[in-house]
Amino acid sequence: MSERLKKIFRSNNPKTKLVAYFVGCYPDYKTSLELIKKAIDNGVSVIECGYPTSEASAEGPVIKIAHDKVLENGDTLKDIIKLVSEIRNYNQEVGIVLMGYIANLYKYPISKFVTDISDAGADACLVVDAPHELKEENILREELNKKSLSLIKLIAPTTDDNRLKDIVSISSGFLYQVNVSGVTGDKSANEIDVSNFVKRIQKSTKLPICSGFGIKSPKDALKIANTGCQGVIVGSAFVKYIQDNLEDKNLPSNLGKYISTFTKELQRTG
Amino acid sequence: MTKNSLKSGPDELGYYGEGENAMGGMAVGETLMPALHELNKGFEDAIKDQAFLDEYAYYCKHYIGRPSPLYFAENLTKNLGGAKILFKQEHLNHTGSHKINNSLFQILLARRMGKKHLICESGAGQHYSATAAVAAKFNMPLIGVMGEIDIKRVNQNIIKAKHYGAKLKSVPGSLKEAITFAIKTWTSNPDYAYIIGSCVSSAPFPKIVTFAQSIIGKEIREQSMAQEGKVPDMIVGCLGGGSNFAGSIYEFLDEPSVKKIGVEAAETAALSNGTPGIMQGMKTYMLQSNDGSKSLGGSSLGAGIQYFSVGPMHSYLKNLKAVDYTFATDKEILDAYKLVAKTEGISAALEPMAGAAEVIKQAKDKSKDYLICLSLCGRGEKDLDTIQEHIGKDFE
Repeated sequence: MSERLKKIFRSNNPKTKLVAYFVGCYPDYKTSLELIKKAIDNGVSVIECGYPTSEASAEGPVIKIAHDKVLENGDTLKDIIKLVSEIRNYNQEVGIVLMGYIANLYKYPISKFVTDISDAGADACLVVDAPHELKEENILREELNKKSLSLIKLIAPTTDDNRLKDIVSISSGFLYQVNVSGVTGDKSANEIDVSNFVKRIQKSTKLPICSGFGIKSPKDALKIANTGCQGVIVGSAFVKYIQDNLEDKNLPSNLGKYISTFTKELQRTG
Repeated sequence: MTKNSLKSGPDELGYYGEGENAMGGMAVGETLMPALHELNKGFEDAIKDQAFLDEYAYYCKHYIGRPSPLYFAENLTKNLGGAKILFKQEHLNHTGSHKINNSLFQILLARRMGKKHLICESGAGQHYSATAAVAAKFNMPLIGVMGEIDIKRVNQNIIKAKHYGAKLKSVPGSLKEAITFAIKTWTSNPDYAYIIGSCVSSAPFPKIVTFAQSIIGKEIREQSMAQEGKVPDMIVGCLGGGSNFAGSIYEFLDEPSVKKIGVEAAETAALSNGTPGIMQGMKTYMLQSNDGSKSLGGSSLGAGIQYFSVGPMHSYLKNLKAVDYTFATDKEILDAYKLVAKTEGISAALEPMAGAAEVIKQAKDKSKDYLICLSLCGRGEKDLDTIQEHIGKDFE
């Protein structure tokens, strides 16, 4: 389990953490690094650094376009791990989670992936299509444990209480609460559903809960923050901002300003 | 069934085989995991329910028109001058291919499980039109997902499915893109039933589809025994995902004396040219970039066998060397089409002509009492424009 993630979620400032997802190396390596630096400068507590694969099964159109662009540019998981090491050099406090699919992680292969992300200074990884039923998930989790890194697990609205207990028992770092059944950037999250869902998870665990999917605006973020979760995850909204402003010469600092509208709103929690 | 039987199926987590070489598994997002476990339980319960199996058998006979004949292709046999060639006439099924065996089974299962809505994907549109037909019969709404490239080239199936009341979602690309998008659609609607078209993706789909299609091999045994007094010496079939071929050989997996040859499209020959990887819910051989980030693969004239990957049971059987896998080029497929049309008066779909191309190679040096069974899994209507465009002049 990552000590850095522990420290982040123990701290009360800010009370609700902003977890921001970016597609690593999107729109290109250099710009991506600048964008993530500005995100950190503007109060993001945990960076989820996405790595793309062509058959990603949970991404909506916004993130799919970003994935396709990175693949087209020829940037690989290796490049994205290098990006992570530069992010870590820039900031020692922020949490960094590699997030993607099992396809390229498996080919990396798994043990080398864990060594490389550990050396790069990542705290955890999240593999969307690697449930605990998958052999490669078991191998990955064991390797991460050896390096004191976390495997972030997903809990979906469809996850029943028995399954929830199984998942919680193998989780560390934080739990990624998927608010809606669907792909990224699609349906909106309903705060009453999310609140009930948070309570349901809290019956089984004291691990921090980060709530994601369907959070599209600072106002949404505040609503979800008030459901009792420890973090809110925003992905498609930030990737879409980048996508819509690719021609902007001041994109990194303007993205930073946009992100600060979320972090400021989250300061109002509690 | 013995302990070492190849017919014991995957383990409870969906793996064929053990250790590093195990193929299959469940590689999907958390949202769908409960639905997959529910489906597995629903399937295991259903196949112990004789009334359910009787219902399936009833519609197989009266709706699909089973058993499909095992036909002695006498003229083709004479023309090749070697082995005796039998066609398992799956193209004579209602809706024109083997696909309906599986659509019918899965829709009956979905009904038994109380599902109200259906999703499917399709490559050649055979699975889409078959599923649409059964969905219409049982009055269940269906959304089909297909690639733009395929929608253009198999238009007849699209029109038929529309008449049956199905809705079509078009996505850029072909079969692999359709599968990925169908999984996304299911993720957004996990209470729907996903009627997958082949023995691919996460467990329990490969097991369910293989079970439904294994009726083909059972009939081959009965018919071959009755007509020829023995089982075939060789079974040949084409593969995209591999459901038709899986269904043809499953019955004979524990009989090494029955030689089995699966034929992929040359441009997407995952078993001949691929490496193990994990995409679209399963670990299996596939064509992918070295770093595993991208699925690869070119195009084949046979839309239904243009698939970069393959069902995990086939990867397992390949590793065990229990089945041989090869491939056929577009030219070989077209040549085989021409020969089958002229000698037997059968306009077959291009996919099974990949199998026919292999039969042509195999038959010549075999004796007259050597039996080769080709699964002729689809009819040619959907491909007539493509065939006309490529070799139309050869028939003038």
